[in-house]
Amino acid sequence: MPAPKPRVMSHAAAVGVWAAAQLVPSPLLVIGKEHVGGGVRWQLTPILYSFGITERPWRTFLVSPIARHSGSIELHVSPEWACCAPEDRSSWLVRAGLRLYLPLLEHGEKLSWSIGSAYYRAAGGGGASFDLGLLTFNGAFGLNVTVSPWLARRELISALTIRLF
Amino acid sequence: MRARSHIALVLSLTLPGCGFAWRALKRNLSAPPERVLAHKITEPIRPNARLAALWIGHATVLLQIDDRFVLTDPVFVHTLSQASPRLVEPGLDPERLPPLAAVVVSHMHFDHLSFGSLDEIEQRTPVVLVPPGVRANMPRYSFEIRELEPWASYERDGLRVTAVPVQHVGGRYALDAAFETRAFTGYVFEYHGLSVYFGGDTAYIPSAFMATRARFPTLSLALLPICPDAPRDFMQYTHVSPNQALDAFTLLGARQMIPIHFDTYINSDDAPGACPNELRARMRARGLSDEQVPILAIGEQRVLIEK
Repeated sequence: MPAPKPRVMSHAAAVGVWAAAQLVPSPLLVIGKEHVGGGVRWQLTPILYSFGITERPWRTFLVSPIARHSGSIELHVSPEWACCAPEDRSSWLVRAGLRLYLPLLEHGEKLSWSIGSAYYRAAGGGGASFDLGLLTFNGAFGLNVTVSPWLARRELISALTIRLF
Repeated sequence: MRARSHIALVLSLTLPGCGFAWRALKRNLSAPPERVLAHKITEPIRPNARLAALWIGHATVLLQIDDRFVLTDPVFVHTLSQASPRLVEPGLDPERLPPLAAVVVSHMHFDHLSFGSLDEIEQRTPVVLVPPGVRANMPRYSFEIRELEPWASYERDGLRVTAVPVQHVGGRYALDAAFETRAFTGYVFEYHGLSVYFGGDTAYIPSAFMATRARFPTLSLALLPICPDAPRDFMQYTHVSPNQALDAFTLLGARQMIPIHFDTYINSDDAPGACPNELRARMRARGLSDEQVPILAIGEQRVLIEK
């Protein structure tokens, strides 16, 4: 008897799973000058240029891990809720910026690092932030440190990044 | 209603796989240390051979066809995707490989396409042949990466490699299987009147094996996977069982078969040795000899046709 055809998700279902996975936030550890708190962050990649991949360097939103971690530069948008904003202000903010990914081991699938800068917009104003990251397991997990020198009470944020594609 | 059927499909695809993946993960976490081979081959070139095969492990085989060398699905790394440790060290160190005429990759799964392993052999091959859709998922190397459509051939200096149909799933990171629906293949190598079939990973598809036989009626050797077998209701879509591998061998009409893709990594519910033991039992029932189906140990090289 011939084997039945493998059951593979449709494009639409796969995009749906991906979209649902993007709702899983990365937990944050917020370190202000006089306190420690928590938060959550989401991330999206509207466009990415991979210089580490053989073919099709431009990717949007749904980015294969090898395209990102073999060497790439992305435009990212990250909404986040980081605790401990000054009392009369919202703790929500959004960052948009550029991030560079470079491979360390096995073309970045095993280990890669990232460096980026972004403009954030929070209640009370905007400013610049800078981040540094280390990622493993095909980029699914990582540690990211974001420094926002002018973001009151949230100057340093560490994130355990969780990402599917 | 449509959304509900999509959710049902996603759950039906995900839940059985989750159970199996969880069991495989638990077994991998308690896997024994990598077994070291006592007498490893250091000189794989066999001057007396017209056709020789060295099983390096899993789907990695060094084929010698007269004076040409071909390597299949090169994987030399000690851990797959940081989760699945190798059970037995590679049967040949990559620095001991002879100059290769070609390397083939059957699909993108971690146990068949290893970027770290390709780094180790980068200077030893002019070309890596891959199925459609794989180039866009491969990092840059100094060798040429060429995609072959089904039945398309690559030819150089008398060696011809033809992509032949198999049934498996594409993708590398699970979700991308939905997008890479053609990214898997088998191959036939032809040189100096000899031809060898490499099945990569495949389910049991008689029509594909018969079509391959129609185009390559005098196969000297078939390299066929025999594992993973269990759980069969999950594996049947993408992997032949040991018994089906023998059926495929018969349909291909090859003179000899070497079983591959077993006892190197843990990627199923199969106990160590279960697949080759089942194969031996099925061989006995069919009256097939060890000469027709030699079961190599990892690191073992066999001269199949002498000069």
